[in-house]
Amino acid sequence: MLQPKKTKHRKTFKGRMKGNAHRGAQIAFGSFAIKALDEVFITSRQIEAARIAATRFMKREGQLWIRIFPDKPITKKPAEVRMGKGKGALDHWVAVVKPGRIIFELDGVNSEVAKEALRLAAQKLPVKTKFIIRRDYAGA
Amino acid sequence: MKVVTIEGTKREELGSKSAKQLRREGNVPCVIYGGKENIHFFTPETSFKDLLYTAEAHTVEIKLNDGSTKAVIRDVQYHPVTDEVEHVDFYQFQPGVPVTIEVPINLIGNARGVRNGGRLKVNLRKLRVKATEENLPGKLDINIEKLRIGQAIRVNEVNAEGFEIDHEPHRVILTIQTARNAVEDLEDDEDEEGAEGEEGATEGAAAEGGEETTTAEA
Repeated sequence: MLQPKKTKHRKTFKGRMKGNAHRGAQIAFGSFAIKALDEVFITSRQIEAARIAATRFMKREGQLWIRIFPDKPITKKPAEVRMGKGKGALDHWVAVVKPGRIIFELDGVNSEVAKEALRLAAQKLPVKTKFIIRRDYAGA
Repeated sequence: MKVVTIEGTKREELGSKSAKQLRREGNVPCVIYGGKENIHFFTPETSFKDLLYTAEAHTVEIKLNDGSTKAVIRDVQYHPVTDEVEHVDFYQFQPGVPVTIEVPINLIGNARGVRNGGRLKVNLRKLRVKATEENLPGKLDINIEKLRIGQAIRVNEVNAEGFEIDHEPHRVILTIQTARNAVEDLEDDEDEEGAEGEEGATEGAAAEGGEETTTAEA
């Protein structure tokens, strides 16, 4: 699963997700993509599950790009522990996704296969997405 | 290079408030620069259908209330969620002054390496091209028919007649990568034997750098 190799700080504040994505909102590598329509934290497990769902359907054809990275640590207190006594321990990693963010890109397969592969991937994600195609895509 | 004509109206009010109002009405605020003065205008979003959603670069003739201007698209801003066109920058042509635009590549043929199970990897879908108005190509045709597994086409192999390509000469445009189900190239010997005689005559031309070639369609 994806996670940073090293971090500047072990724990971060929760933060707020305001506005739309401006970086990573256009297709850069492939011909097909899915774009997030809501703001959400996507965990590294969810990204991995979606990646597996898409690549299995493509049967080793084509190429998939993951355009988000889970670089935000989420902490959790152990079960049945009273409040206080400091912030909990690191539990998992999430990617902060704002509306408009491209999540996966795909190329090397036809549009029907790409659409189905990305539909299967989107099912594993906790966010509403839409399928988009590169503007100058001419088919083939 | 094909010319697309769009009709626009000059903006009387500038600023984000009027720009938002224009977008609500289905128009796109635009600007033309590169000439003596900047021209702010708007045009319906449908005018960009043949301009932005194609695999070819175009020259644009913009017809305004008081005459027309020839230009190329310099920058386009899209809404991050809806992907609607929010703003377009045009760069006006000056006689004899070269402009830089991005021209898409157009692949011709099915590569030999792909027929043998290889995978075509395109690194650059568009190339930055510098030329005067009359020499600007609409697309760059690249013939990949003879490309085998492991071979690549670089920027210096593109036949750039009348224009200049603004990339490092050895930058790889596309390559055929080997894949799991790749098979050995059995056509090797037959092709070389058969082609030797024919290629004899064209050898000179090929040596000059026109082997996997690429032509530009003006």
